[in-house]
Amino acid sequence: MFEIGLSHYLTVAAILFTLGVFGIFLNRKNVIIIMMSIELMLLAVNLNLVAFSSFLNDLVGQVFAMFILTVAAAEAAIGLAIVVVFFRNRGTIAVEEISQLKG
Amino acid sequence: MSDTLDLLPVLPEIFVALAAMAMLMIGVFGKGEGVRPMTMLGLAVFTVAAVLAWMLGGERTTTFGGMFVMDSFAGTVKVMILLASALTAAMSVSFLEREKLGRFEYPILMVFATLGMMMMVSANDFIALYLGLETQSLALYVLAAYNRENARATEAGLKYFVLGSLASGMLLYGVSLVYGFAGTTSFDGLARLFGGEHPVASHAGLIAGLVFVVAGLAFKVSAVPFHMWTPDVYEGAPTPVTAFFAVAPKIAALALFTRVMIGPFGELADQWRQVVTFIAIASMFVGSFAAIGQNNIKRLMAYSSIGHVGFVLVGLAAGTAAGVQGVLVYLAIYLFMNVGTFAVILSMRQKGRMVEGIDDLAGLSKTNPAMALVMAALMFSMAGIPPLAGFWGKFYVFMAAVDAGLFTLAIIGVLTSVVSTFYYLRIIKVMYFDEPSESFDKPLSRSVGIVMAVSTAVVLLFSFLPGPLLSTAKAAAVALFPQ
Amino acid sequence: MFAALIFYMFAGLTVASGVAVISARNPVHSVLFLILCFFNAAGLFLLLGAEFLAMVLVVVYVGAVAVLFLFVVMMLDINVVKLREGFLQYLPTGALIGLVLLLELTVVFAGWAFAPDVEALVAAPAPTADVASNTEALGRLLYTTYAYLFQASGVILLVAMVGTILLTLRVRAGGRKQKIADQVARRAADTLEIRKVPTGGGI
Repeated sequence: MFEIGLSHYLTVAAILFTLGVFGIFLNRKNVIIIMMSIELMLLAVNLNLVAFSSFLNDLVGQVFAMFILTVAAAEAAIGLAIVVVFFRNRGTIAVEEISQLKG
Repeated sequence: MSDTLDLLPVLPEIFVALAAMAMLMIGVFGKGEGVRPMTMLGLAVFTVAAVLAWMLGGERTTTFGGMFVMDSFAGTVKVMILLASALTAAMSVSFLEREKLGRFEYPILMVFATLGMMMMVSANDFIALYLGLETQSLALYVLAAYNRENARATEAGLKYFVLGSLASGMLLYGVSLVYGFAGTTSFDGLARLFGGEHPVASHAGLIAGLVFVVAGLAFKVSAVPFHMWTPDVYEGAPTPVTAFFAVAPKIAALALFTRVMIGPFGELADQWRQVVTFIAIASMFVGSFAAIGQNNIKRLMAYSSIGHVGFVLVGLAAGTAAGVQGVLVYLAIYLFMNVGTFAVILSMRQKGRMVEGIDDLAGLSKTNPAMALVMAALMFSMAGIPPLAGFWGKFYVFMAAVDAGLFTLAIIGVLTSVVSTFYYLRIIKVMYFDEPSESFDKPLSRSVGIVMAVSTAVVLLFSFLPGPLLSTAKAAAVALFPQ
Repeated sequence: MFAALIFYMFAGLTVASGVAVISARNPVHSVLFLILCFFNAAGLFLLLGAEFLAMVLVVVYVGAVAVLFLFVVMMLDINVVKLREGFLQYLPTGALIGLVLLLELTVVFAGWAFAPDVEALVAAPAPTADVASNTEALGRLLYTTYAYLFQASGVILLVAMVGTILLTLRVRAGGRKQKIADQVARRAADTLEIRKVPTGGGI
């Protein structure tokens, strides 16, 4: 219990990842929350990588995490830009409710 | 690893990246160049890059510390990707100009997306794979929402974005677990580990990681059960963008899927084969049955492409060199069939407006016999009716599956293929036996006509000259397997 | 003991704010909880010895990405109540699936094992602190072995920039722009005129 090992970190990451997936299915209408859920998933991945990197004593995991941070920032920018143009056209950010395209 | 950096294998990528930046400069600082001259530049870039990739894709060479690999598999797939990008770019100019969407960024984004695809198929490390994938995806998200005044296009962009980033998240989580187990992200290192004397395959964390990786890649090729919004994206995005989506990224993602499964995880084939088989069967089923009720031709093409992905995965499930050869042959033929069909769809205009209904094709044989003939040939080929090219694509993947002992998979493949014939034939029936409605606007734009002619010629004449493609695909397939 | 308590504090707050992100009623609150989540995750990174990444997480993520989210949420006039519809409807199924996934993952992680002779596969062994700090070691890797990836991420950022500008930039007709060059090039002689005004005459 008081000995913090690798599996503790992995469990935290697993909870965050599950929250991310869960958040996407729960908030199917609110795109902004969906995007934040994706950020949570990526945070989980980063936590995993850093934990492994630390316990393997290997820096590749941290390098990978750094690239993921970079790309996630770019991805968030593109995603928010698309949300903004979508909002301009529709006046809402709900995807499913008034979908013109049938699922 | 030597100290001098060998940049020769990366030459096509470096060229494309620099060219894209140069095009950006011309677009921003030039005198308001429109989409047409920019597309011409883009075509030149694609051509030069394809020549470079073709010349370099012989011996297997790695560079950047083994992170980037150039072999005949990468070379062949890159040529296919560049060809697909060039054909779809050539088709889109007149559409974009007519619909007042002609902005110089369009071809530039296509070039960047193509760069990402080239990086994907040459990736020899999971980090390199991820960065290539994201270069491609980010450009594609923007292209899907390119028509920003249109609610449907932006919705398509949004859905594509959410799906794509969810897929990246899954893939990354899987990769992190694989890294945690093996301590390396390099494909060569993983292959060495799994091919070593220690039996490592049964480790739960590794299997969990592998499943997440497969799921993420399946998302990227929009295979069932990860296909949810694909039809929406195809329908909502501007038609030239849909044509691009249906061909180049599909080829790149399937080639990547193949490289990852055969390369690092080749020794774990028994573990991933069941998953890939399941995905293949589900995709073939959905692709065949869900397409039957469609009335919008772009939606129909979405389901058709899901089905084709299923057929390609049959070849991958076999996991042999013959299977990979089948995958490559299928992809090459798929390229021409789809580009040709989208050229026809791009010509569907009545009274200056684009139409997308299958009913709008009614009586095409009377109003435009040449185009009806082209469409009929393409549809017969898609359905896999001999002696057209599509038949051979299916033939090679199914033969590989039979040789690998996957009889059930091959039989299901043939059956769903028969079912899918139904909706392809329905289009032919509508064109030839229904009363003509409105005739399509003439004249066709010249580039669309050329693309249509080229792809039909390939589809019709492939059976007479299959040798070059077969031998290239074979050499490329063998390159993936350790000698 | 003390380290364990710190871990549980960071981990607990990370998870709790993660829950709050996906369940908060107001998107603005969600973003704020996301920031809290990132802060605590940075704490976990610190405990793992990844100082540089911890700082990057705070500076880049909290400073740029989360603020970007906040900006967009506040810019768009979102009807909060409407977006909550259906939340409860999906809750039971979603919670069930989530729990199953979580349980499976925890079972997998409880007995995590590395590959045999994993040390041989490690590509970049971390140097000890007296040889090079975490930041220095990462920098050395980034600009040498991983130069290809470094360039590639530059391309990604460029694509993102082009894409966002393409999507959202709108040149409004009649907008007034500042023309700095014209302002700097202005001379007193162009605009001022000295006139002799006769006393009591007016102009």
